[in-house]
Amino acid sequence: MLEPSATPKLELRNITKWYGPEGTGVLAVDDCSVSVQKGEFVCVVGPSGCGKSTLMTVGAGLEEATHGEILIDGKPAGKPGPRRSVVFQKFALFPSETVAQNIKFGLQMTNVPRDEQERRVQQQLEIMGLTQFRDSYPSQLSGGMQQRVAIARALAMQPEILLMDEPFGALDAQTRTILQEEVQRLSHQMHYTVLFITHSVEEAVYLSDRVIVMSRRPGRIKKEIQLPRDVAWKRGDIEQAAEHPEFIEARREIWALVREEIMAA
Amino acid sequence: MRRIANGNLVLVSAAACVVWIAVWAWITRSGGPVSSLFLPSPGDVVERFGRMWVKPYIGSTLLGHVFSSLSIVLAGWALGGIVGVPLGVAMAWWPRVKWLVFPIFQLIRPVPPLAWIPLTLVWMGIGEPARIFVVFIAALVPWLMNSMQAVGSVDPLLIDAGRTLGASDGKILTRIVCRTALPTLIAGARIALGNAWTTLVAAELLAATAGLGYVALNASRMLDTDVLVVAMLLIGLLGVLLSLLMKLATHVLAPWSLSQQKG
Repeated sequence: MLEPSATPKLELRNITKWYGPEGTGVLAVDDCSVSVQKGEFVCVVGPSGCGKSTLMTVGAGLEEATHGEILIDGKPAGKPGPRRSVVFQKFALFPSETVAQNIKFGLQMTNVPRDEQERRVQQQLEIMGLTQFRDSYPSQLSGGMQQRVAIARALAMQPEILLMDEPFGALDAQTRTILQEEVQRLSHQMHYTVLFITHSVEEAVYLSDRVIVMSRRPGRIKKEIQLPRDVAWKRGDIEQAAEHPEFIEARREIWALVREEIMAA
Repeated sequence: MRRIANGNLVLVSAAACVVWIAVWAWITRSGGPVSSLFLPSPGDVVERFGRMWVKPYIGSTLLGHVFSSLSIVLAGWALGGIVGVPLGVAMAWWPRVKWLVFPIFQLIRPVPPLAWIPLTLVWMGIGEPARIFVVFIAALVPWLMNSMQAVGSVDPLLIDAGRTLGASDGKILTRIVCRTALPTLIAGARIALGNAWTTLVAAELLAATAGLGYVALNASRMLDTDVLVVAMLLIGLLGVLLSLLMKLATHVLAPWSLSQQKG
């Protein structure tokens, strides 16, 4: 179980992000603090355009915050890099590389020994069910398969933190359900530390230990909701989980908060 | 119409070629409507081709003229690439380089390569370097424009992905940006080669001592229309061949750009 006083694995502390000049530009995120403990799965939900993706981009180090800081184990996180792997909504696979080469890319960039590279690529291909697509190019794969490759590429890095920015937002409903269940299974087995952005309340309740609800733009933290951890109903498929009274209650509560923000916009 | 299978299209094209040649043979037959002075018959052209293949015409055999034209085209085209690609990539990658180079480049771009010939004659005379230079100018524009566009249109998300995977700026440029841009770059190389070829033939008409354009010009002065047609057909065929070679290069160098989704 989590120690409430432990230093968070990842901490976004008092993040404010202006696009354009401060004061006259667009305020995307206003003084947001999010922390994720080691092994915790945290979802950020909010209405479209509320700045949740900006929070992710800043958290990954891909953009500088106007104010505030990003800490890993209590120390400044610095440039983006392999400690924080990112899965993007639009997959972001390298079109000129095969599936195996995509997964291997980050391992080559960080000088992982050659035989270890091969071992990890093979392992991820098996875990994500991609072995037969090893030598295919991304353009030859469906959206669901492409996102599997992107997840495999992120996990092969053995990151301390996994950042996922609406990873299933571009997928059809059936594929999304299957991938949600796989991510649920994986994170339960492997105890990944995950910060996950989504606009789907159901996805947030099913996957996460804690849900952070953001307000409409400029994004502020509206409320944090602790969900039951390590309960049996979460480990099954999402259909079954959605019938559990605890799931229904959490979904109702979070949806009410999100709805308030959408209606007030 | 759009549903004709590929194999059938090849057949249709082959049949059309036969028909066109037959029409050509019919109108140029002895006693036909077109005098051989204006257009030789296919038989005359083939015969002339055979003779020129073994016997020198104005200084060298046909193969010698072909070789002369091709070597100048390839030299000018390659030089265009050596200068154009790094410059185009740099212009897309570092805005400062673009500010420096783009104004001059925009000024030069609308000047047809052939308009460089008079100045080139003053600078270099009518030798090979002059022709290589004019071809270089013709090839440079598509090389540079396409590499700039290719690099500029790489999805910034791929660069973000590279950064989160620990790639340095140098690796991002070489492993992600340049590789992703490769299909557009090869398309630029193909346009550059086409431009280079047509420009060279035109340059040979004005200032040359060998080559297919030079052969055509001499044949025109002597009213050797059969030689003229041989030269023109070769110019056309070699142009097609060069274009096909560049298509092949895309298959070999950027196979991913041709692959389709399996479902």
